[in-house]
Amino acid sequence: MTHETEKLDTTDIPVVDQVDADVVPQRPDRAEGVISRRVALGLVVALILLFPVIAIPVFSSYAYVMQIGMLTLMWISMSSSWNIIGGFAGYISLGHGVFYAIGGYSAGLALAHWGISPFLFLPVAGLAAMAVGLLAGLITLRTRGPAFIVATIAMLFLFLLWFDNWEFIGASSGLDLPLVDIPVRWLKVPFYYAMALSAIGAVYLSYRIAHSKFGLGLRAISEDETKAEVAGINTRWYKVIAFSLSAYFIGTAGAVYGYSLTHLRPLTFFAIAVAARMVLMSIIGGRGTVAGPVVGAILIVGVNEFSVRQFGQTELNIVVTGAILVAALLFFPQGIVGSLRKSGRLPAFLDWD
Amino acid sequence: MNWVQLLVLGLLLGSVYAMMASGLTLLFGVMRVVNLAHAAFILIASYITYLLFENLTLDPIVSLVITMPLMFGLGVIIYLVLFPRIEGSARYVEMTVLLTFGLALVVEGLLTFVFTGTFRSVRPDYVSTSIHVGDIFIPSNQLYASAVSFALLIGLWVLLRFTKTGTAIRATMQNRGAAQIVGVNVRRISAFAFGTGMALAGAAGSLLSFLFPFFPGKHWQWIALLLSLIVLGGMGSIKGAVIGALLLAIASAVVTDTFGPTWSPITFYLTLFLILLVRPQGLFGAKLRL
Repeated sequence: MTHETEKLDTTDIPVVDQVDADVVPQRPDRAEGVISRRVALGLVVALILLFPVIAIPVFSSYAYVMQIGMLTLMWISMSSSWNIIGGFAGYISLGHGVFYAIGGYSAGLALAHWGISPFLFLPVAGLAAMAVGLLAGLITLRTRGPAFIVATIAMLFLFLLWFDNWEFIGASSGLDLPLVDIPVRWLKVPFYYAMALSAIGAVYLSYRIAHSKFGLGLRAISEDETKAEVAGINTRWYKVIAFSLSAYFIGTAGAVYGYSLTHLRPLTFFAIAVAARMVLMSIIGGRGTVAGPVVGAILIVGVNEFSVRQFGQTELNIVVTGAILVAALLFFPQGIVGSLRKSGRLPAFLDWD
Repeated sequence: MNWVQLLVLGLLLGSVYAMMASGLTLLFGVMRVVNLAHAAFILIASYITYLLFENLTLDPIVSLVITMPLMFGLGVIIYLVLFPRIEGSARYVEMTVLLTFGLALVVEGLLTFVFTGTFRSVRPDYVSTSIHVGDIFIPSNQLYASAVSFALLIGLWVLLRFTKTGTAIRATMQNRGAAQIVGVNVRRISAFAFGTGMALAGAAGSLLSFLFPFFPGKHWQWIALLLSLIVLGGMGSIKGAVIGALLLAIASAVVTDTFGPTWSPITFYLTLFLILLVRPQGLFGAKLRL
């Protein structure tokens, strides 16, 4: 591993496709698919973008289907982003709800005070989340292992308390946003596309990181931080940058979601269940892989939707979330993508890294 | 309010926090388990106490006799069922955190399902009385809770200091491998320590039930507070947890008095952040290398 790590450089995040070839020699030979990965990914993106059109004649409850589509894309965006610090670098954060809130509230305030559409404000909402991520990372990443997890929980509660008592943003009673003036049937479509942008961005970022020297450095940190440091990786900045990058598309997802609710309350964003979902999706899909969080997000949104329809919106949903997490950790710690890869049965269209 | 009054109130609550935190830090010391479900288990005991009080009018302090052994048993079972599976896995500490996180969600969901999300409280007579010493007033419930906590802390100290099992526990805390070499049955000691930590959680649940109103989601606030305490004291250090608890409880009493009760939890989280900035290993902890 040393011959790669000595080339590492913190100043830029080089994204070189040919790195792919010489950097990952230890992986078992990829099963030759009928279609290449690039084509497969292109098809997926096309499907996501065309889905609202395809769905028109197929589903009678169009608005509901669009809502589920939007939620799936949102969770893909969140779990893929979380995976950058929690999967690649191996630093489990339970505080990423903060960035969700920063995104949601910054876009909400821009709309309420300056009349800027959250759709246009998206990139800025992401940047705001990233900036907070940078500052929070500088503090919380002074610790490792369990102390880091504790620090992220404290971060979450600190922000919740602050937002709950900050009159400017409506405190705990919340902030009302003007409604979007679109017929109900088509209401969700713009949100769907904005969320698709966020999700594709998150997966693309995750993909580029996984294929860069930066990503390799993060994996080295996750394997053995002391050795990574000895090998010349500036572990501190690697971690802080990963933490900050992981906040970006969670921020944009929060901005879109908050706007779709038209009413922002701190607890919507800071609920520990939000953080729990991100973690669960990454783990069940395969932590540290690019495709894993996507698979996990689709699966868990599906399970959740099923259980809500079967049992109603009860507390049993949170029990299901917790129980799946425990079971996955005990019996399935590498997740779907991780386990399939280990046994060499990962289909080519899911092999994104 | 005058300073003596704040100090008294802080020390009273602080000793309850100290007892809660010592259970949590014991688990970490012996088994490297960061038990995110600790406060959820505390709440289970609170609800048991609530049921006993509502149905049998059993005094919440007396119900310690039931909650402590019950939680001890539950702890041993959880330890034996869950932990052998993940012991020896490469990311053990991280696994324990996520595992107990999942457990906490399950417990919270089940409690909400059974008891709904409404606030509950246990109100024996001494909830509304207080004792006056000069111009200092001492709420009776806090006094009793603090006395019981203090007794339990002494009990824990005696257990760890003067018994053979306690010596084995301390040996395991210091060096698991070496303890095993000199003949400590590490797994049994771990199960016992887990049970003991959980028994303390049981006691804490019974005491909290008549100090604060509770609802199933409240355990997140408690766990965040407890974790701040043990990070402040240095994870795995019982002495640190006790001192951290007393200091923070006094600080929080002062903050409550100055800025109002909404801001009292902020003392804990802000202290945690500041400590991490200047001294990540906490007051009494060795630098964490995990």
